[in-house]
Amino acid sequence: MTYFAPDTLDDALAHLDTTGMSIVAGGTDFFPAMGVAPQAILDVSRIKGLRGITLDNAGWRMGAATTWTDVINADLPAAFDGLKQAAREVGSQQIQNTGTIAGNLVNASPAADGVPPLLTLDAQVEVASARGVRVMPLSEFITGVRQTALRAGEIVTAILIPPLPDHVRAAFSKLGSRKYLVISTAMVAAVIGYDAQGRIDHARMAVGACSPVAQRLSALEADLIGTAPENILVNATHLTPLAPINDVRGSSEYRLDAVAELIRRTITGAST
Amino acid sequence: MAYSLIVNGQRFDVDLPGEVPLLWVLRDELGLSGTKYGCGVSACGACTVHMDGEAVRSCQVALEDVAGEVTTIEGVGTPDALDVLQKAWVAHQVAQCGYCQSGQIMQAAALLAGNNAPSDAEIDEAMNGNLCRCGTYGRIRAAIKTAAAEMRGE
Repeated sequence: MTYFAPDTLDDALAHLDTTGMSIVAGGTDFFPAMGVAPQAILDVSRIKGLRGITLDNAGWRMGAATTWTDVINADLPAAFDGLKQAAREVGSQQIQNTGTIAGNLVNASPAADGVPPLLTLDAQVEVASARGVRVMPLSEFITGVRQTALRAGEIVTAILIPPLPDHVRAAFSKLGSRKYLVISTAMVAAVIGYDAQGRIDHARMAVGACSPVAQRLSALEADLIGTAPENILVNATHLTPLAPINDVRGSSEYRLDAVAELIRRTITGAST
Repeated sequence: MAYSLIVNGQRFDVDLPGEVPLLWVLRDELGLSGTKYGCGVSACGACTVHMDGEAVRSCQVALEDVAGEVTTIEGVGTPDALDVLQKAWVAHQVAQCGYCQSGQIMQAAALLAGNNAPSDAEIDEAMNGNLCRCGTYGRIRAAIKTAAAEMRGE
């Protein structure tokens, strides 16, 4: 096995085009699941410019190798509070120290903690190959359980988040069988804004671990507009994008019940 | 492949494949057996060491990916000159079987390096990735508080 840790993206892409390589950043999902060793590892964690969070006119740019600890420690507006809360739920602090934001997306677990909050931030995924760069919405990047739109020869280079209204706040709720170190049974992310009368004028809601890919709830978002938080009603139609499974962590009925309650709690959490 | 790394302030040259986990470099190559192999899949925290002061799981860090100075439990203190955490661990008789405790102390050291007055909630949040099958969590929390108080000069 060869282990390749280049300093530049060009160098990485050149190697990726010529050999069958497994791309690794923090390794926190890769190594535990490795089983038989792959032929070659491309470690992207040393590539210059791939780590860190910056802001320009187009919005926020989170380098692919930005760790969850980087996210927690970054000076970000209140709209990112849900993402920060999710970052604290990714494994333990040691996992957060090495696990990366793009790794969480590429791993494409239905229970990935980072996905719902990034969906509520309208995140886009930037990928690069020797052929060039392309950008797609996160909702199109993850295509199924453990499946993404990443093609051979491509590396995720950044998560892009467009500018957000100044007044919005955010929250994230995770339901698991214990407080820490747990795979989600269900989770909800919200980015919410209120007008001067205290009615919701901006709503982005997403649910994870209740469908093969985490889902935005657009019907709920539409119904929330103009509503005061104490009057929120979640109905079955709102939850139609979800298709929770029965497993050791909960039945599908339990998950849908829990999600309705988590939605109310998360909106309340984003309102204070 | 030849690699050069600094462990507990000392430079070591090792000739091993780059994908070998740091845990096995420490234990088998350098003879530093204080760092423990618990699960091997980053679930338990027994293998915790520091890279440039940040707590990481050595079972998940490839030799090629070692960036910065490594500190293991052997670099924290010695039986003759115990670190403040190790003294507190002894005072509270934290260990039962003891297997997870070097990892616990390394994680606690990372916590106290950034916060010398952690609350119960902050201790729980920092320590939640380090599992102890003997259930010594209550004593771990007490020992961290004792060590923190000593660091504050109380």
